[in-house]
Amino acid sequence: MQAEQQLRDSLREIHDLRAALDEHAIVAITDPQGKITYVNDKFCAISQYSRGELLGQDHRLINSGFHSKEFIRDLWLTISNGRVWKGEFKNRAKDGSFYWVDTTIVPFLNEDGKPRQYVAIRAVITGRKAAEEKIRQLNAELEQRVVERTAELEAFSYSVSHDLRAPVRAIGGFARMVQEDYAAALPAEAQRLLGRIHENALKMGRLIDGLLAFSRLSRQPLNKQKVMVSTIVHRVLEELQPEQAGRRIKISVAELPDCQADPALLQQVYANLLSNAFKYSRERNPAVIEIGSHDEKGRRVYFVKDNGAGFQMEYAHKLFGVFQRLHSADQFEGTGVGLAIVQRIIHRHGGQIWAEAEPGRGATFSFTLDGGNSHV
Amino acid sequence: MSEEAAEMLLVEDSPDDVAFFVRAFDKARLAARLHVVSDGAEALEFVFRTGVYAHRNPASRLKVIFLDLKLPKVNGLEVLRRLKADPRIRTIPVVAWSSSQEERDLVESYATGVNSYVVKPMDFDEFERSVQALGQYWLQFNQTPKP
Repeated sequence: MQAEQQLRDSLREIHDLRAALDEHAIVAITDPQGKITYVNDKFCAISQYSRGELLGQDHRLINSGFHSKEFIRDLWLTISNGRVWKGEFKNRAKDGSFYWVDTTIVPFLNEDGKPRQYVAIRAVITGRKAAEEKIRQLNAELEQRVVERTAELEAFSYSVSHDLRAPVRAIGGFARMVQEDYAAALPAEAQRLLGRIHENALKMGRLIDGLLAFSRLSRQPLNKQKVMVSTIVHRVLEELQPEQAGRRIKISVAELPDCQADPALLQQVYANLLSNAFKYSRERNPAVIEIGSHDEKGRRVYFVKDNGAGFQMEYAHKLFGVFQRLHSADQFEGTGVGLAIVQRIIHRHGGQIWAEAEPGRGATFSFTLDGGNSHV
Repeated sequence: MSEEAAEMLLVEDSPDDVAFFVRAFDKARLAARLHVVSDGAEALEFVFRTGVYAHRNPASRLKVIFLDLKLPKVNGLEVLRRLKADPRIRTIPVVAWSSSQEERDLVESYATGVNSYVVKPMDFDEFERSVQALGQYWLQFNQTPKP
């Protein structure tokens, strides 16, 4: 009697579960050959076929033709080997309309380990797929617009390069010509003022070139590959020899792990950071410059450290802005583009850059090359 | 030695840049005659001895062309293309003398057969040094086959 009660209880349990499942999902059962042996009402409703039309058929009846042969083969390979298959499927209803279903197919095996039947549970996701498609289209449109705007920007900066450089060169050049040709006729003060015109024209020229270098950088495609960072650092140090001439500088280069980056752009990063380090430490004897890397919260951090002029941390946020300078031009020359370029390069690699400093005690610039783990 | 006169052609539309170039050229005391034309069409007439240049001295020898890229009428790259398409003219060295540091301009110029690409220096003193050094190189050191 107790056994009978238990059986009744578990049958009711199964019945309840099934009723709930039928409310929620599209359910079908097929035999090992793929013939449909059971469908619930939801299956009939969505496919628009009656139960009688479906039973004994296989799923080719609702095949949309959307999926590749490989996709279908992979599905069968998975379930006939007794593994669960999950995926998204596009089906065709009787009236020719399409619907998408999120599908789980569970194979049930007999005593020999061969599939006895397959139970497929599905949920309609046509709306979500349409939304996804819409997003994809919008993204494509957006990308197209970015391409167009970039081309406009390119045309603009091209004309800037040509049209602004020429008059600036002319201003400096004519001032120089007057200085040279009328040297004898000009009082010393006039000579000095002409010199100032010439210097300022040069400075403006450097600013224009800096701005153009910055805009070129944004348009240049990123050529990411495995990069030996120490090779790059040594090459840059070699190139910066002239800035080290006649100075006592202690340079230490730690072992630097390889990374994924655009080699030319990473070289530009080190060139700018190191030339800054040399520049701002030129009043130190000896200048101490340290190039290294360490792991921090699972990220590989590269850094360049100097014992130079440093800066007040309250101005750190201004450091990477275009034309932003924390030192006056007669103290340390520069255009204020170098660090903006460095930051742009690092951001384009998906990395971060920051600086720590103290006035008179040097600065450390640290960067990562991608958001998370930057190991190769 | 033949009596042919060495010539150098500057194709430049900016009167300021012409003034600087001519001054630098004179200062450098280069052994050539400098001709200046201000647009692409005139440059082609000069080189191919057509139009107003139909009677240009047949004995003169054009040793190098300094070509600005952004020019009125026929632009610099088109001038370059037509020069390099002619087997008799092709061997005359062409130096792109440009304000542009655009990678695209460099790539296109070299693809079209330019012999050298120099960005006009912003600094007047450097501008003069460049004209002197380039003039010396292309007029004195560089060798080209007889046309």
